[in-house]
Amino acid sequence: MEKDKITEPSHFSSMRGIIFACMILFPLIPFILALGTGYYYFTTSLEDSSIESMKRIVEDHRHMIESFLKERKNDLDFIVHSYTFEDLSQSETLDTVFNYLQKKSPAFVDLGVFDPSGVHVAYHGPYSLKGKIYKEMQWFKEVMKHGYYISDIFLGYRQIPHFVIAVTREEMGKNWVLRTTIDTVSFNNIVKSIRIGKTGEAYIMNANGLLQTEPRSGGKLMDKNPHNIKYPSSNTHTETFINKDVKGDKYLCTTTWLQNKKWLLVVRQEKADAFKALTSAAYLIILIMGVGGSVISVIAFYLTNRIVGRMEKMDVEKDRLNQQLIGASRLAELGEMSAGFAHEINNPLQIIKTEQSLIQMTLEDMKKAGQLKESESLAELEDSMDQIGLQISRCSEITRAILKFGRQDEPKPQDIHLKDFIPEVNGMVAQKAIVHGISMEQDIAENTAPIHGDPTQLQQVLVNLYNNAIDAILERHGTSGGKLIIKAGPKENNRVEILVIDNGGGISPENLNRIFSPFFTTKSVGKGTGLGLWICYGIINDMHGSMEVSSDVGVGTTVTILLPAAV
Amino acid sequence: MKKMRMMIVDDEERFLSTMKKLLAKKGYDVVTASSGTEALEIMSVQNIHVVILDVKMPGMDGNETLRAIKKRFPLSEVIMLTGHATMESAVEGLKSGAIDYLMKPADLDDIIKKAEDAFEKIQGTEEKIRVARMRKIMKSPSEIIQDS
Repeated sequence: MEKDKITEPSHFSSMRGIIFACMILFPLIPFILALGTGYYYFTTSLEDSSIESMKRIVEDHRHMIESFLKERKNDLDFIVHSYTFEDLSQSETLDTVFNYLQKKSPAFVDLGVFDPSGVHVAYHGPYSLKGKIYKEMQWFKEVMKHGYYISDIFLGYRQIPHFVIAVTREEMGKNWVLRTTIDTVSFNNIVKSIRIGKTGEAYIMNANGLLQTEPRSGGKLMDKNPHNIKYPSSNTHTETFINKDVKGDKYLCTTTWLQNKKWLLVVRQEKADAFKALTSAAYLIILIMGVGGSVISVIAFYLTNRIVGRMEKMDVEKDRLNQQLIGASRLAELGEMSAGFAHEINNPLQIIKTEQSLIQMTLEDMKKAGQLKESESLAELEDSMDQIGLQISRCSEITRAILKFGRQDEPKPQDIHLKDFIPEVNGMVAQKAIVHGISMEQDIAENTAPIHGDPTQLQQVLVNLYNNAIDAILERHGTSGGKLIIKAGPKENNRVEILVIDNGGGISPENLNRIFSPFFTTKSVGKGTGLGLWICYGIINDMHGSMEVSSDVGVGTTVTILLPAAV
Repeated sequence: MKKMRMMIVDDEERFLSTMKKLLAKKGYDVVTASSGTEALEIMSVQNIHVVILDVKMPGMDGNETLRAIKKRFPLSEVIMLTGHATMESAVEGLKSGAIDYLMKPADLDDIIKKAEDAFEKIQGTEEKIRVARMRKIMKSPSEIIQDS
């Protein structure tokens, strides 16, 4: 037993560990898997849709910029076909036309007419460019070649970064050129005007990687592009990629070539900004994982404690029941043995009895023969012999009662007349009651009907109840003042009622609930099996009766037995 | 009136000797046997009317002895003396032919009373046998004529 007690705690601590681990892992694993899978798919789809929408925005922006350039070119085209070279070279006409153009779009800075040899013959604008020769200028050569031309940003005569749109028209075999400068600020605004998140920006650079508009994040016109750029694989393709810029931040970039000019539209946004929803989702998921994980852990811990606590309690309970079982079986053994003892004692008792008879007889003979004179001593002797006879009878009663009690016979039901039966049973405990100063009273109604049952079993029940009552009285009253009352009488519905009333310590309400349960006892181990009332209840039940206990702590207890009257 | 001869069979020697003294003092003719085998031996040489038989004995036990007595000496009556107050042994004894039973420790007067009752029955039975025998001898006149 000691050894078991020592190893038990460690047995439970390893169990505790196992249960705890299982209770955490089994919910946690699917939980994390679900969150993880959800997050992964969410991330992927979010990235994909962000990129898609970025592409669309970029394409729309591109179309807008292309439209702008196309419209400006169309404007020039219209003018070039509406006026002759002669007309347009007049400064008043040029002024009127320019004002009209400006109304259409404030992006026009100036307007100039060039003759076929590249001389700036007429000019309306803020710079003094009239008369200058442009024959060798890149843009002039290009416009002569292609019929219209949009230039890259260049410094030109005015030494200010700008770009121009020029168109030619053939008149009388010679081409003349109409050119306008586009306001870089306006154009910048048009390009910059894209709104993408917090860090989104758009700019244009030419095929050589020189900035044509100023990015919001910094950079001057005609500077080399400060960011790492991937060029799209084809003219129509929109390339999207993520790379790190000089500061180390990750950027989502989209590039696409403009259709009407070899310019690259670059739109970029900080990756964190672009995928902002992802970061918030990630934080939320981490929060959920944290909260969920701790909830799971706490519950697992609490449940494990409960379970292991229960197991420990059950172990303790089991031990206690084992003890009680051992006690009960020992007593049962004792009961069985007592039958043998009683029987064995009867033989010596018989001999003592016959010897006693012989002594008495011999004394009589000796008295008759005159060998013994009447005296006090003789009287005392005779008295002692009588006493011996009495005590032998008493021993015999006891052994008889024990044997009757320990018999494993089948119940032999018969009619029991309580008026005779109860006093007989009372006699069995009378001595014990007297010794402890308990007064026994009985009150059996004359019209009490007989009941049908095995007298031995009924005796067993009554003796058990009497013993319980005596024990209760002793606990409370000590050696005097105890009262044990047995009543019997008829009850309605053809029943008989037997009451066993004591003024002992009483039974508490919690114990009252369990009083008929097997192995329930308030006595220390070895002093009571806790089986008595359980057996009694069973016996009365088998006799088709009922048994009830009512009690008040500090006042006493009443056991009521109801049995059907014998028919 | 014949005098009753009793036999007490029990494995306790002291019981036998004291009982013999007591019953002798009361004026009864008593023999004792300390085992079933001895009892049967005695009965084969003496005529015993009433046997007081202890149920539990080593060797040939009470019930066995009872059956043997009833088989060999049917006119003798047996009173069982049982130490364990179980009904079974008494009932079995009665079924096997014992006339009565007593539980130890038994009162001397009870033993004597039951023995007297048993002896009375024996005498009654013997009377009936005598009458039956007489009837057989006293045939009717017509039968005597037929026989001769």
